[in-house]
Amino acid sequence: MHRLREEGTRAIMADSIIIEIPSDYKYLNLVDLVCGEIVYAMGFEHEAANQIAISVIEACTNALEHGNQCCPEKNVRATFTEFPDRLLVEVFDFGEGFDHKSYLQHIPDPSDIHKLRGRGIYIMNNMMDRLSFQMIPGKGMKVSLEKMLPNGRVQDS
Amino acid sequence: MGGPDADTFRGRVYELIEEGRKRAIVNLRGVNWVNSTGVGILISAYTTLRKNGGDLKLLHVSDRIQSILYVTKLNLIFECFDDEDEAVASFKKD
Repeated sequence: MHRLREEGTRAIMADSIIIEIPSDYKYLNLVDLVCGEIVYAMGFEHEAANQIAISVIEACTNALEHGNQCCPEKNVRATFTEFPDRLLVEVFDFGEGFDHKSYLQHIPDPSDIHKLRGRGIYIMNNMMDRLSFQMIPGKGMKVSLEKMLPNGRVQDS
Repeated sequence: MGGPDADTFRGRVYELIEEGRKRAIVNLRGVNWVNSTGVGILISAYTTLRKNGGDLKLLHVSDRIQSILYVTKLNLIFECFDDEDEAVASFKKD
């Protein structure tokens, strides 16, 4: 566990836990276990805890499949940072990047519920309070997911 | 449920159809999580079975899987049961 100084000039102290797994589906259960321990320790309620876990697994699956192209030599890293009012999860892949905007454009319309693919970003966007993507040149994609604690409120940055 | 499970599951659905068994119940007891790929697997199986005159229902759906079905509106499609006998009996009503 690392003590981090985050949030630019706001200088909020936060605890951060990092887990890094090879690009293999079998390790997603580990991420799920770590995520579960963190969210319940932070005081998230059952439904919110489920939403966070689903979204983190989804982000890690995307990183593994679309970012790392399932290459076993490339890892997926998930960083859980606890703030007083929220949890920030950042998922990194080490691939060439992928066009998340095309996925955003192909979010299935609710009336098109039979569509087979393209739900991942839609799910994360609906279950988390904030979702963003950042391509880090030479490294890969970072997906940031935020969930407010009960009575918390997203602060515009 | 996701990733490489897709091919295994899809293959099993086609086997069932070839055997003339088109009404399927997917028992999700012990399934800890389903990602969007897993949701796609279930929808694919549902669509395939329905096109062949069958149906697919879900058994022992966890809270977490209920959440993902709800947010994707798939709760409107899938009938979910906690009791296997009730799930089997539901086909007779169709």
